[in-house]
Amino acid sequence: MKLDTKFMLETFIDVLGGVPVTLKITIVTLLVSVPAGFMMALSRAGNGRIGRRIIIAYVSLIRGTPVVLQILFLYSLLPTLLNYLIKEILGLEYNIFRLDPILYAYSVFILNTTAVLSEVFRSALSTVNQGQMEAALSIGMTKTQAYIRIIVPQALVAALPNICNTTVSLLKSTSLAFMMTVRDITAIAKIDASFGYNYLEAYLVIFFAYILLCSLVQGVFYLTEHSVSSYRREKAIRKAPVMQNG
Amino acid sequence: MRPFHPYYIIEVLPVLIPYLLVTAGIVIGTVFFGSLLGILLAAGRIRRGRVGRVIANIYIYVIRCVPSIVLLFLVYYGLPEFLNVFGVDINNAGKGFFVITTFSILFAAAMAEVFRSAYEAVDKGQREAAVSIGLTEFQAFRRIVLPQCVRVAIPNFTNALINLMKEGSLAYTIGLIDIMGKGQLIIGQNQGSYSLEVYLALFILYWVLTVVIEKGAGLLETRLQYCRRTIA
Repeated sequence: MKLDTKFMLETFIDVLGGVPVTLKITIVTLLVSVPAGFMMALSRAGNGRIGRRIIIAYVSLIRGTPVVLQILFLYSLLPTLLNYLIKEILGLEYNIFRLDPILYAYSVFILNTTAVLSEVFRSALSTVNQGQMEAALSIGMTKTQAYIRIIVPQALVAALPNICNTTVSLLKSTSLAFMMTVRDITAIAKIDASFGYNYLEAYLVIFFAYILLCSLVQGVFYLTEHSVSSYRREKAIRKAPVMQNG
Repeated sequence: MRPFHPYYIIEVLPVLIPYLLVTAGIVIGTVFFGSLLGILLAAGRIRRGRVGRVIANIYIYVIRCVPSIVLLFLVYYGLPEFLNVFGVDINNAGKGFFVITTFSILFAAAMAEVFRSAYEAVDKGQREAAVSIGLTEFQAFRRIVLPQCVRVAIPNFTNALINLMKEGSLAYTIGLIDIMGKGQLIIGQNQGSYSLEVYLALFILYWVLTVVIEKGAGLLETRLQYCRRTIA
């Protein structure tokens, strides 16, 4: 077995150029999906029955089907649908097929991650005691204030480990974006490999790139968790002497 | 706008359904081999030995970071060359072999965590009590600890299983003909038309599979919960 190390090094440098694209997809998706997923979790806990049914069906459908199928479906639906909408209904002269394919990547991953995160937030919200809400209301806060100042911060801390997991799996699924002709890490390495059939080396490079990226993401989440859960640690420290005495 | 024929979804479903057997075969093969490897990894993490724990931790960390499609192609291109060094020729092995190998590697990491958390969820006192009344170490594990582990493990195992089934759809990228592969073939035969209809049919199949697995696991869980009688 011989590995072309020179090729691997060159590809690795090429692949670094794709890192911003991969991170861009991940970050944009999270920026949209975190609030959207949170709203979804809240409205699922609310009273509206029809809305609740729709959300439950949506979450179940997205979580019950492979990402790759969602990508293939939306990538064959969206361009023609948008083209039809713009040309026939709006009557505009705009060539939709010149649109940056990263937009399709955003839409697929946003649809997917929102569903996953809504479940994450639902379980996180259920960890916050009902008494917290009652206490906040009893001292004269409005419901919105209570959510923003009391409930959400606690729920977010509880949700962080799961958000980290979701981000890692989102980052991994962005490797499928090459199916939508997005030039991310995977696409660049595959293009490099196609010249000399060095696929094994190319995939090894992608492998290492993803290990690095995932470690980065997990490191960031570790630090965030460490800083936002500081109030918990303070409590633990204050409790410690009592336990020693008792 | 391209024409959309809803009736084609119903037409294509019977063509796809026989290929569920391939999907099921991949899942069952992977669950078997992946669980075996997962048990080894979980044992590595639970036992006192330092080397075993380090190896298991590194394995789980690395696998957690790697997209399935990348590992699939690594195995597909790399394994024949790697085994060639030892004089083993698997260039003629079926696609299913590579798919099951890849997903076993992935599934093992998930299972290791499932097994470990299930094992740790059972109180140490259970084993101690069993041993104190004269059961051997093996009997205590087999009759007391294991049944409790199984019940704890079901929800996590179900999640891993559903994930495996969904990730398994990537197997078509190396040319395996499961339901996804057959769907792509049908689209290819139609020169790309009816793609939406075929994808919708696949959505239905995968969704039904997931719901069936979830419901089945839920039933199993409540059944096993029944054994957990309290004194009062």
